[in-house]
Amino acid sequence: MSYEIVFKTEADMPLLPMSLGSTLYNKTGSWRYVRPIYRNKTSPCNHACPAGEDIVTYLAMVTKGQYEEARQTILQENPFPGVCGRVCAHPCESECNRAQLGGAIAIHSMERFLADLPAPRTLPRLEVRDVPDARVAVIGSGPAGLSCAYQLARSGYKVTVFEALPAVGGMLRVGIPSYRLPRDVLDAEIEAIVSLGIEIRTGMRFGEDLGFEDLDDYHAVFLAVGQHRGLRLNVPGEDASGVAPGVEFLQRVNLGQETTVGPTVAVIGGGNTAMDAARSALRLGASDVAILYRRSRHEMPAIPEEVEETDQEGIRLEFLTAPVEVLAENGRVSGLRCVRMRLGAPDESGRRRPEVIPGSDYTVDVDMVIPALGQAAELSFLGDRAQVERGRIAINEAGAISRSPSGADRWPQGVFAGGDAATGFGTVAHAIGSGKRAALAIDRYLRGQALEGFPPLTAHLRVAPRDVDPTVVRFEDINLAYFTEEPRTVQPQRPAAERVKGFGEVNLGYTEGDALKEAERCFSCGVCNQCDTCWLFCPDICIRRLDSVPPSLEPGAQAYQVDYDYCKGCGVCAEECPREAIVMEEELKWRK
Amino acid sequence: MEKVIMGNHAVSYGVQLARAQVIAAYPITPQTQIVEILSEFCADGRLDAKFIKVESEHSVMAAVVGASMAGARAFTATSSHGLGLMHEVLHWAAGGRLPIVMANVNRAMGPGWNVWTEQTDSLAQRDTGWMQFYCETNQEALDTVIQGFKIAEAVLLPVMIILDAFVLSHTMEPVDIPDQAVVDGFLPPYEPEFKLDPGDPHAFYGLVTPEHYMELRYKMHQAMRDAVQATQRIGAQFGDVFGRGYDVVEKYRIEDADIVLVTSGSITSTARVVVDTWRANGHKVGLLKMRLFRPFPFEAVREALVGTPKVAVIDRNISQGHGGIFAAEVKSALYGASQQPVLFPFIIGLGGRDVTPESIHSILNHTQSHDMPAEDSIWMEVKK
Amino acid sequence: MSYDVPDQELMTPGHVACPGCGAPMAVRYALKALGEDTVLIVVASCWSIIAGPFPYSAVKVPLLHSLFATGGSVASGVKAGLEARGLTDTTVMTLAGDGGTFDIGIQALSAAVERNEDFIYVCYDNEAYMNTGIQRSSATPWGAWTTTTPVTHPKSQPKKDMVAIMAAHRIPYTATATVAYPEDLMRKVKKAKEIRGSKFLHVLSPCPSGWKSEPGQAVYLSRLAVETCVFPLYEVEHGEEYRITVWPRQKEPAEKYLRLQGRFAHLEPQDIRRIQDNVDREWDKLVAKARASGQVVPE
Repeated sequence: MSYEIVFKTEADMPLLPMSLGSTLYNKTGSWRYVRPIYRNKTSPCNHACPAGEDIVTYLAMVTKGQYEEARQTILQENPFPGVCGRVCAHPCESECNRAQLGGAIAIHSMERFLADLPAPRTLPRLEVRDVPDARVAVIGSGPAGLSCAYQLARSGYKVTVFEALPAVGGMLRVGIPSYRLPRDVLDAEIEAIVSLGIEIRTGMRFGEDLGFEDLDDYHAVFLAVGQHRGLRLNVPGEDASGVAPGVEFLQRVNLGQETTVGPTVAVIGGGNTAMDAARSALRLGASDVAILYRRSRHEMPAIPEEVEETDQEGIRLEFLTAPVEVLAENGRVSGLRCVRMRLGAPDESGRRRPEVIPGSDYTVDVDMVIPALGQAAELSFLGDRAQVERGRIAINEAGAISRSPSGADRWPQGVFAGGDAATGFGTVAHAIGSGKRAALAIDRYLRGQALEGFPPLTAHLRVAPRDVDPTVVRFEDINLAYFTEEPRTVQPQRPAAERVKGFGEVNLGYTEGDALKEAERCFSCGVCNQCDTCWLFCPDICIRRLDSVPPSLEPGAQAYQVDYDYCKGCGVCAEECPREAIVMEEELKWRK
Repeated sequence: MEKVIMGNHAVSYGVQLARAQVIAAYPITPQTQIVEILSEFCADGRLDAKFIKVESEHSVMAAVVGASMAGARAFTATSSHGLGLMHEVLHWAAGGRLPIVMANVNRAMGPGWNVWTEQTDSLAQRDTGWMQFYCETNQEALDTVIQGFKIAEAVLLPVMIILDAFVLSHTMEPVDIPDQAVVDGFLPPYEPEFKLDPGDPHAFYGLVTPEHYMELRYKMHQAMRDAVQATQRIGAQFGDVFGRGYDVVEKYRIEDADIVLVTSGSITSTARVVVDTWRANGHKVGLLKMRLFRPFPFEAVREALVGTPKVAVIDRNISQGHGGIFAAEVKSALYGASQQPVLFPFIIGLGGRDVTPESIHSILNHTQSHDMPAEDSIWMEVKK
Repeated sequence: MSYDVPDQELMTPGHVACPGCGAPMAVRYALKALGEDTVLIVVASCWSIIAGPFPYSAVKVPLLHSLFATGGSVASGVKAGLEARGLTDTTVMTLAGDGGTFDIGIQALSAAVERNEDFIYVCYDNEAYMNTGIQRSSATPWGAWTTTTPVTHPKSQPKKDMVAIMAAHRIPYTATATVAYPEDLMRKVKKAKEIRGSKFLHVLSPCPSGWKSEPGQAVYLSRLAVETCVFPLYEVEHGEEYRITVWPRQKEPAEKYLRLQGRFAHLEPQDIRRIQDNVDREWDKLVAKARASGQVVPE
């Protein structure tokens, strides 16, 4: 459309200099040598999420009240928002840029809020795709196994899950106490997954009730057996009655089996299992529970909120101490002999190595000792048919097992492994990501495609990838002019004195108001959230708003369009963008 | 209704009758009375107009430009240095094709300070694109204000109505003040074609590049040429309604004349008396009164003067380094004519010095007694 | 995040402001606040060019281009003319640069506001004669380079305090604004529209070409001017009621603002200290006036 006004003769012209049209005739875009491009980048939360959730997107949806869209966005990647919203170690929050201005976004509380919405728990099937008519066996019904089964089943594959225990859920069910993860929440999410048409066979321990030879009918296998064997203290006396490894203690408690606890309990370790065991013991009637940890609070691997809650509940946290002997009377635990420790130089994990202070021995009286020093996988079923490294199944980037040199010829194609038994990351979110990785790999394998191009195991994968720049947005990239310091919204908890009386849930979750308030705090690092700042400040009025599109459901959809006929390339939009979602690129690059 | 009033008030009554809607003014002798009485009219409701009492003539003209652009009938009055201060805005008004009417009381420019009559102030603005009318009497001043709005609004050019300081401005004469109803019939309300209108927004007077500037000035020049006919048409129409017709020039006893005096402003009345005396004595002399100076009425001047042996142009003004401005313009009108008169350019009465019948006799004597002018400009009554 | 800004655009793209110019932004916001029933007067300034050449216009309201010194006078006439036509509610807004306001137009402006003419006068101040190629005006700050104040002799007088001059006229409303705070600017324009009489708005408008700054940093500089208190945002009612409308979140050193602009590149540390001292003194005076007017001053 031409806006130009041409006067052929003076007779065409008005009597006086007056306008007859707008400056739209003047395509000032020709002045430009750099152009603004809307380019979403990677938020640190998304980058950090082992389950590959598109967190920044679902937070934006919450701000617009699009709760169901937000939940569906999570469910694309993770069928366990109710679980993760409660028990995830949330590395996303550790990386959150908001941490430097009022505290990290409480992403776990947001996820829980969305999961708990009173809406039908329907899981999103993928669009009907032409999948091969293939069956997949999943060994283990923990978060890795069910994540894999979920992604395969919603794609259209036939999946059978084999579980050694009588109940489904793996560590989610037998490792995590119900005051952190109520059973109805877990049951509902598992039920939704199973209802996709997955066959579940419990009481089938691989290597005992079932072997590789029984899986001939399956075209691929995913091994996700977890780590259910507690590590030993390796001190004299630990076989005495009253010494109960943490994982085994928790499994009994969580399966509802009869468990007695002595009035005085010492838990050894600094991880989540130690916290869970100590708090469960307290709830089972122990009057005096202490956690002994050989390093300081700063080095504890447990989720900080868990440590805080443990402390609140009156459990003594004793740091820089380690047992050197379990004392027993008549075969029963009567006490612990410990030594005091101090922190030396950092070790390979980056944490300061504890050292014994000579001559610092002391003794405490206890009735029960629960070592919670870590877990190992039971992998004897493998024989020599796969490579085991540091107690875990070795896998490549696609999650396929790295075959043992000696067992190469006998090892069938199409076997994948994941979860704690393979990766050792030890978190629910990692297990979910690992199961999803295997599902994506198995899909390719069954289609006869090469298993190449998978990112390293430390990186996450997406079922619904978005067209974003992999550059992770830093705090320095955020335009702080647009944000004020607002405190993080903390979900309410039941009082410690009340909650220790039973296994009822400790955290009470967000109200809608809390969720909205918290979502509004999000910087939306690197991701356009239609804030209008570019539109508002464009000196050339050449940024147009497009019809609002839910950002994640329409990959690549954008909210604004630059009219390059007029954009002069001043760069105000890119400079002002609160969240680094606009880049300026040299014009020559765009000229044909 | 006849009243004996001074020339300044004749202008004021003309403005009242023309129902000006916005008046902006700044005091300057000898114009001030024009706006003083208008200020009263506005205050007491005799005239429904907004009177803006600005702080300078530059702002005067800017304010009336604004008012006119907004679509109102606008008037102001000034004199001498006030007119000079307006200079750039006069261009804006004319190039903006705004039908503003302004009275200018001719007063000499300083230094030194001089408040008496002389035409150099208005003639120095001749290239601004304003029409210029020089008035001989208080009646003519009033009548020209009314005609001035009608002409300005017809051709979309501003009109300057000029009267001599004191000789007219402060001199009482009987003036017929027409009935408002009759004036309303002659001069209907202003219906602007181009105006600042939020309902039909346009930008006015922005940047004009060389691609268009010349055409716009050409169209303005065409309007100026058309304004001669418009002045004649409306002057004749005025005569039909009010019994006093006007032309662009007035010829007085020029048939068969050997000498024609060319005059403007109040000198005309003095010259008219002298012409009658000379005619009574058997001399063939006549007079051509220049009423319209811009646009310059070439055809009327040629028609009146070609064939006359001698023409004496009386200029109460001086273009330094050139001469009398009327003389130069009249000369340019006669250039190339088959029977060109000999033109005698007289400079007289600068800074308000009286031009008496004796002065006119001297001019006629000089013209009669010389075949050709002795100098480029003949300065009269200079003490040598 | 969302902005309380009307969607209506009364400006068009294709205007010829330099990249990153604050002047079109200021007018865009002002027109959004005023709406269609507005007549705009533009006196000689960058906006004489920005608005587009004949036969085009960059605004969708009537616009009268006028002479340099006529910001106050032509508006008086336009308002009177509109009223004569019965358009009593139409807002008349004059737009002038700092040269047209602080220098050549101050006489007509002073007279118009002394008469309390009913119009809004917006001075978009880019602190020099930018359209003619960066010559100093009385709005140019102390120490700044311009083509007529070379670095060997940068401007040695302080910026004229135009708001104080306007306030001294006891007009109903005087305010400062800048483009980094569009909502504040628009609120002030809307407030001005509702008041009958003379309203003066002093808008700091970054000029990347004349300030020798990055075009993309125009808004950032505008914000820094406020956060350093170099250009505080406040309003004055009837010449005596002072109210600060945007408090700096944390008062930043003036140097942060100065160092992003090539026009201040020659300044020595002692020059910067002098500027900072002046900024502190003026800010303290302003806060004192606000407090004296009853405003609660945040800690």
